[in-house]
Amino acid sequence: MSVVGESVDGAVVVGEREIVSKPGRSLVREWPVQVILLVIGFVISLPIIIAVLMSFTPLREIVGRANPQFFPDQWTFENYRTAWTATPFFRFMINSAIQTGVITIFQVVFSILAAYAFAMFSFRGKGFLFGLLIASLMIPFELTFIPNFIMVSNLGWANTYQGLTVPFLASAFGVFMFRQFFMSVPRDLYEAAKIDGASDWFYLWRIMVPLSKGAVAAFGIFSFLGAWNQFLWPLIITNEESMRTAQIGIRFFLINQERATDWGAIMAGSAIVMVPTLLAFLVAQKQLVKGIAASGLKG
Amino acid sequence: MSRQNTSAYLYILPTFAVLGLFVYFPIIASARLSLNRVAPFGNQEIWVGLGNYTRLLQDPEFWDTIRVSVLMTAGTIVGVGVAVGIAILLSVPMRRLSWLHRSLIFVPVVISSAIAGVLFRLLYNPVVGFFNYWLSLVGIDGPNWLNSRSWALTAVTITVVWRQIGFNVIIALAGLQQIDEQLYEAAKVDGAGVIARVRKITLPLLTPTLFFLLIVNVIISLQTFGEINILTDGGPGRATTNLVYSVFVDAFVGTSFRGFASAQAFLLAILIVVISFVQFRGLGKRVHYG
Repeated sequence: MSVVGESVDGAVVVGEREIVSKPGRSLVREWPVQVILLVIGFVISLPIIIAVLMSFTPLREIVGRANPQFFPDQWTFENYRTAWTATPFFRFMINSAIQTGVITIFQVVFSILAAYAFAMFSFRGKGFLFGLLIASLMIPFELTFIPNFIMVSNLGWANTYQGLTVPFLASAFGVFMFRQFFMSVPRDLYEAAKIDGASDWFYLWRIMVPLSKGAVAAFGIFSFLGAWNQFLWPLIITNEESMRTAQIGIRFFLINQERATDWGAIMAGSAIVMVPTLLAFLVAQKQLVKGIAASGLKG
Repeated sequence: MSRQNTSAYLYILPTFAVLGLFVYFPIIASARLSLNRVAPFGNQEIWVGLGNYTRLLQDPEFWDTIRVSVLMTAGTIVGVGVAVGIAILLSVPMRRLSWLHRSLIFVPVVISSAIAGVLFRLLYNPVVGFFNYWLSLVGIDGPNWLNSRSWALTAVTITVVWRQIGFNVIIALAGLQQIDEQLYEAAKVDGAGVIARVRKITLPLLTPTLFFLLIVNVIISLQTFGEINILTDGGPGRATTNLVYSVFVDAFVGTSFRGFASAQAFLLAILIVVISFVQFRGLGKRVHYG
């Protein structure tokens, strides 16, 4: 691959050897990489592809075949009907939607508020409180879930939306992330708004937050994925079928039919549960990937 | 400044109220629980001091859970190696990946532990699953993965590795992107081959990223729960019961031993806090060049 004609700052061309110092130029030839990439990507996503294809395969084909095969001979929606009617799947999805919606909205709002205080105000104990906040990031959920279960049960919140959501309404990670972003907004803007008579409350919601749309979107997606995919807490805090979230619903749907497992219906159920996160991924993939990459670089 | 003082506390109040009730206070409650024996119905507590801990250290089942946790972590580290290998092999800057490529490689990032468990339970199924069919194509008689004492842990670990791979490749690619390409060019001009370049440039400069990946993956693998719950329920026997799963079983399944479970949770937490702390320190010192 020759790049003659592409002159880049500091690039030296030695003989016929091409030197590409333009950032972002791959040194590997283009199309083989694309093919290898596609194969690796296909292998990685295969479990999901198989699940989706099987959700459209009639049960008699799944159990009747000598060897498993990817594509159904005859496509069917029957599995979706089975999953939808054999369990209160609609109810599970509604429960998950409420649980996830509440957690995401509160985490975003509470984190923005706290982050604003840590970024803009000076107050006694600020350093200590921020340290306390960061320290909470190291505390694994396993340490707190037994006392939380006891407390939430004693409040009578088992099998309620409060029980599913209240313990997760705040996010130390969110505060940390928004604080970083708020601190990067020029202080002059704040001073100017103050001179114009803006209150902190007005400045935060009318100027700061609109400027931080990207950060809100990125954290909102993290928060949404985390809440939707929760497993351990909803498993222990709900024991009534009507209060199960989608993740717990699919678990019992699978576990309860141990003898003759209806794999088509289970894969249909799994597909339904995956749809919101897959949609979020496909729509906001770039922000999500960027967010994860940035979290790795900054530690 | 005094006006700012008071309103600042109002801004941080909601966050600290939630964290106080559901993170800070439970740490103390958990410590106290671990020093008591709690009657199965949770209405009577008997102070036993460090009794739960000494009992734990003498319990062979506890050491089994440690063994399971360590083996699973080792498997996850192999998974990190695979992810970094893929990233290096490609060393394609992320923005040059097409939408399709990115979607296919990174998609496990959004899959829950429960769904991962369900998908792999199908793949491991000896009749309708694909793994043993693929193995049979190359002449291998596959094990009964989830019901085999010697293979169940491998099966769970593979699932955990799969769910992490998208995240790991993203982080590794981001790390690779930070390396100045002119270094490779200089080395190439000096006659260094591909392997030499990877060994002498890529890996040393990627150390901070590798370190981060290692720590995060160790912490995640120590916390594996959903996959175990759906794939094996900790079995067969206790072959896939890690420390987290043991805490869950002792606290919530059948007769509950919350004090004993809390002691295990506390040990796990100390382990994770220590590992996180190493990460913070490592980042402070800027782990470069090994």
